[in-house]
Amino acid sequence: MTSATTSAVAAARGGRATRWLRRVDAKVSPYLYVTPFFAVFGVFGLFPLGYTAYISLTDRNLLDPVSRFVGLHNYALLIHDSYFWNAVENTFGIWFLSTVPQLSLALVIAHLLNTRLRARTFFRMAVLLPQVTSLVAVALIFTQMFGHDYGFVNYLLGQVGIHKVYWEAGRLSSWIALSVMVMWRWTGYNALIYLAAMQSIPEELYEAAAVDGARRWRQFVHVTVPMLRPTIIFTVIVSTIGGLQLFTEPYLFQPRASGGTGGSARQYQTIVMYLYEKFLGSTQFKFGYAAAIAWCLVLLIALFGLVNYLVVSRIRSAEP
Amino acid sequence: MNGSSTGRQRRLVAAVLAVAAATTAAWLVAGSAAAAHRDAITLTVDVFGDFGYHDLYKQYEAAHPGITIKEDSEDYAAHHTALAQHLATGAGADDIEAIEVGYIAQFAAQPQNFVDLRQYGAAELKSRYPAWKWDQAVARNGAVIGLGTDVGSLGICYRTDLFRKAGLPTDPSTLGKMWPTWSKFLAVGRTFQKKMGSRIKFIDSGSNLYNAIIGQANPAYYDASGNVIAAGNPKVKAAWNLTMRAIALGEDKGLAAFSNDWNTGFKKGTFATVTCPAWMMGYIQGQAPATKGKWNIAPVPGGGGNWGGSFLAVSKQSQHPAEAADLVKFLTSPASELYVFQHTGNLSSEIPVLKSKAVQSFRNPFFSNAPVGKIFANSALKLKPQILGPHQGDFQTAASNAIQRVEQHKQSPDASWKQFLKDVASAS
Amino acid sequence: MTAIPYTAATRRRARRALARRFESAGPLTYLFLILVVAVSIFPLYWSLVVASHTNAAVYAYPPKLLPGGNLLHNIRRLFDAGAVNVDFAKALVNSAVVSSVVTAAVVFFSALAGFAFAKLDFRGRKLLFLLVLATLIVPVQLGLVPLYIEMKHFGWLNSIKAVMAPNLVSAFGVFLMRQSIAGGVPDELIGAARVDGCNTWRVFWHVILPGIRPIAAVLGLLTFMNTWNDFLWPYIVLNARNPTVQVAISDIATVAYVPDYSLILAGCFVSILPLLLVFLVLGKQIIGGIMQGAIKG
Repeated sequence: MTSATTSAVAAARGGRATRWLRRVDAKVSPYLYVTPFFAVFGVFGLFPLGYTAYISLTDRNLLDPVSRFVGLHNYALLIHDSYFWNAVENTFGIWFLSTVPQLSLALVIAHLLNTRLRARTFFRMAVLLPQVTSLVAVALIFTQMFGHDYGFVNYLLGQVGIHKVYWEAGRLSSWIALSVMVMWRWTGYNALIYLAAMQSIPEELYEAAAVDGARRWRQFVHVTVPMLRPTIIFTVIVSTIGGLQLFTEPYLFQPRASGGTGGSARQYQTIVMYLYEKFLGSTQFKFGYAAAIAWCLVLLIALFGLVNYLVVSRIRSAEP
Repeated sequence: MNGSSTGRQRRLVAAVLAVAAATTAAWLVAGSAAAAHRDAITLTVDVFGDFGYHDLYKQYEAAHPGITIKEDSEDYAAHHTALAQHLATGAGADDIEAIEVGYIAQFAAQPQNFVDLRQYGAAELKSRYPAWKWDQAVARNGAVIGLGTDVGSLGICYRTDLFRKAGLPTDPSTLGKMWPTWSKFLAVGRTFQKKMGSRIKFIDSGSNLYNAIIGQANPAYYDASGNVIAAGNPKVKAAWNLTMRAIALGEDKGLAAFSNDWNTGFKKGTFATVTCPAWMMGYIQGQAPATKGKWNIAPVPGGGGNWGGSFLAVSKQSQHPAEAADLVKFLTSPASELYVFQHTGNLSSEIPVLKSKAVQSFRNPFFSNAPVGKIFANSALKLKPQILGPHQGDFQTAASNAIQRVEQHKQSPDASWKQFLKDVASAS
Repeated sequence: MTAIPYTAATRRRARRALARRFESAGPLTYLFLILVVAVSIFPLYWSLVVASHTNAAVYAYPPKLLPGGNLLHNIRRLFDAGAVNVDFAKALVNSAVVSSVVTAAVVFFSALAGFAFAKLDFRGRKLLFLLVLATLIVPVQLGLVPLYIEMKHFGWLNSIKAVMAPNLVSAFGVFLMRQSIAGGVPDELIGAARVDGCNTWRVFWHVILPGIRPIAAVLGLLTFMNTWNDFLWPYIVLNARNPTVQVAISDIATVAYVPDYSLILAGCFVSILPLLLVFLVLGKQIIGGIMQGAIKG
C-alpha cells in the first residue's frame, strides 16, 4: 500500500481530475462489480425461466421447426395426466420417506457429536464423507447393492431369514431404496448444520436446565430442539427444494435408464424424470409440455415450501 | 479461526497441487492418445445391443491405414431416442447410425438428415435385397438412407436338457409338429410345468413371447394408409391375450427381457425356451457360454414371422461421408454379413447370402449342431413384410412395459392393456 | 476470532467450561457413532471391493467382502477405448477444466459483488441484493428446456462451454461473500486504504481479497465439489464422446448390454478419488465452512 506521504503528494498533484475520477469510481464501479452476476444470471437463469413460461404456452417440439401458441392447453392436459400425478405422488412419497428419518437421525447424531469426544474431527469427517460422493456414484453403488439376485442388501436380509426383495420392481420397496440413497448422502451434512446451531446455543440455557435437574435426554428435548427450530426450518426447506427435484438416483436406479420412466409401472418416476421423459427421454420431444411441467414444479416447490414453513413454525409456537 | 491459518494454507496449496497433478496426468494421457491419430480419420459407429462387428472393424482398419473405428452401443430405445435428438439438434450423431426396423419409418421420413447412399453407389446393391427390405429404408423422395443388415426370422431356442428332464421330446422337428400354433405351444408348456414345478419356467419373458407373435402379424400396429390401429386390431389383442394366458398359466418366468436378471437367468438356467430371432442366438451364446451344447432350435409356432433387423445409415453430420459410406458398404457386404452370422448369429437380409452354401450348410455347435443356417435362411426367404409406421419402436417399448406390469403383479391384464393403449395414443 | 494467547490457565478454564456444558461421551455414544461411521464408509468401501475384483466375482455367493487384486486392471480398462465407449481420460480433463473455471469464476464474481453489496454505497443496493436472495429460492435448474434451446442456438451443445456458462455465478456465493465481508473486514481498514488514495478496485484487490481468503477457500471447495458432482445438466448437453466424469460413468453403467459392475464401480471410485483426497486434506476446513455457513444462513 502507498505510504501516507506519497498519497498526500498525489492528492495535491491530482486536483480536480483525481476528484472527478474518484467520484466516477464511487458512483459507477459498484454497478460494474455486480454486473457479472446479474449478466450471467440474466442470460442463463432469469431469461430461461421466463422463456419456460412462454414455451409452456406453445406446442413446441424439437422435431417441428414451427410452434404454435396453444394458450393453457398444456396445463389443461397436465391436470388430467395421470402419469403426472403419479410422478407427484412418487416424488412426495420419496421425499417424505427420506426427509423425516434423515432429519431426525441428523439431530440425534448432532446431539451425540456435541459431547466431549475423542477423535472429534474423525467422527465429523466420517459423517460428512457421503456428501463428497457424487449423486451418480451414490446411485450406481446403491443400485448394485440393491440388486435382486446378488445385491448386498438382499444378502444381509437373507442372513436374518428375510426373503429376497425385488427392490426395483415394487412401489414402496423402490421408494425405500431411493430414500436410503438420499439419506445416506445427506444425513451427515444436516447433522453438522445442527451441530453448528447447537454450539451457538447460549450456555445459560443449559445451565438453567441443569439446575432444574434436567438429564441429558431431557436437555435435548427441552433446550436443544426448541432452540434449533430456525435451523430445522432451514433444513426442511432446503430438503424440500432438493427433494422435489430428485432425479439422478431414480434415473440411474432403472436398469439401463431407459428414458426415465422410473420402472415399468412408473413406480418411482419423479416429477423431474417425467419432465425429462417428455423433454428428451423419448422420441416425443414435447418441449412445450415439459416446460409446463417445469412451471408446475416451481409452483409445487413454492407451495410446499410454504406449507412446511408454516407447519414447522407452528410446532415452535406450540412449544412452551 | 486463529493461529493455524498458515498450516491450513499449506494444506490448501498441497490439495490444489494434488488436483493439478492429477489433471496434468489426465491431460498427458488424453494428449498422447490424441497425438497418435492426429492426421487419421476416426469413424464412429452408433449401434444398439451387439452387432458383432468388432472383428470386422479390425479387418477394415488393417486394410485402410489411417482409419480408426469407434463403436458406441446403447440400449434399444435410448439409442433411437438419442439419434432423433441428435438429428434434430444438428449435433452429436455418429458417422454411422444403426436403425432398427421399428424406427426405420420414422427416420426414412427425414432424408434431409442422412446421406443419400445412392451418391456412393448404393443403387447397384439393390438386387441383393428382398424388395421389402430395400424399400423400408427408401425415403419418399427416393433417397436411400440406409443399407439393410439383418433380418429377424424366427425360431424357438430351447434347452434340450430341461426338456429331457420334463419328459418332452428333444428333437426339433418333433417339437415343431407338437406346436404348430401358439396355444399348442402353451399346451406343451403346461406339460413342462407340471413336471418341473415352479422354479424353472417354460418361457423367459412375456415380452419376448409377445414380440414374436406380433412379428408374425400383418398388419400389426399400422394399416396400409399409415393409421395407428393398435387398439382395434384383433391380431394385436390376440398376441396380448396369448401372452396373458402364458402368465396366468404360470409358464412365464417374468424376467424383463435384456435386463440383468434375464442375463442371470441364462446362466442359472431358470427358463427352458426363448423365442428366437436369429440375432437372439448371439445373446444366448454371450450370456451363458457354459450352456454350450444344451440348446437347440425348433420351428416357431405360427410359421414365419420377423422380429427385428436393422439398417446402417450415414448421418449428414458426418465429416467423412465418403469414408463412412464405404464402411457401411463393407459392413453390409455379403462376406461381412456371413461372418456376423457365423460368429454372432445375426442373419443377413441379402438373398445371395441366404442362398449361399456357407449359410445353408451352417450348423451351430452351441445349439447342438442344429442346421441354423437352413432353418433361419429359409424362413427369411419366405418372409412377408409387415406394414411399418414411425412409432413402431415406441409401441414395442410400451408393450414390454405393459407386460412387465402384469408379470410383476402391479396391474391386472385389463388395466395394463388400457394403459398400453393410452401410451400408444400419447406416443403417436 | 483473534488468537488468544494459549496458556495453561486458559486451557484449564476452557476445559472446565466444556465440562460444564458437555457431558463426556459414554460408551453407548461411541458405539452409536461408530455404527454411523461404518454406514457412512461402507458403500464406498463396497465400491472398492467390487472394483477390485472381476465382474464374475460380483455374482459370488456369499459376496466377497475383502478387496481383490484387480483394481489397477479395472482402472486401466476404464481408459481403454476398446473396453468402454466413453473417453474417460477426456472426461477427467473436462471435469477438471469445468470445475476449475467455474470455481474461479464463482469465487471471484461472488467476492466482487459481495464487496459491492457489503461496503459500497449505490442506488438500488438493497433492491438488487434482495433480487440475489430471491434467486436463491428459485430453482434455476428448471429453466432446462429453454436453456437447452439457448445452447442449441449458440451451437454449444456437446461442448463443455454449455456446462460452464450457466454456472459461472452463484447467488449463494454472493450472499456468503456479502455476509463475510460485511462482518469480517473492518470499515476502518477500507477507510485507511481510501485515504491512501486507493480506488475501489485497489481496495478490493489489496484489502478485501486478502481479508476473505479463508471463506473464499471454503466457497471454492464447495463450488468445486458441486460442479465436479453435477449430473443432470451436463447429461443433457454433453454426450459420451465429450463427457464430464459423471456423464461418463453413468454412460458406462447404462449403455452396456450386460452391466460390468467391476468396471462401473471402478469408474465411481476413480471419480470420487480426487474429491476424497481434497476432503482428507481439507476436511476440517470444509466442515468449518459448512458449520459457519449454517450459523450465518
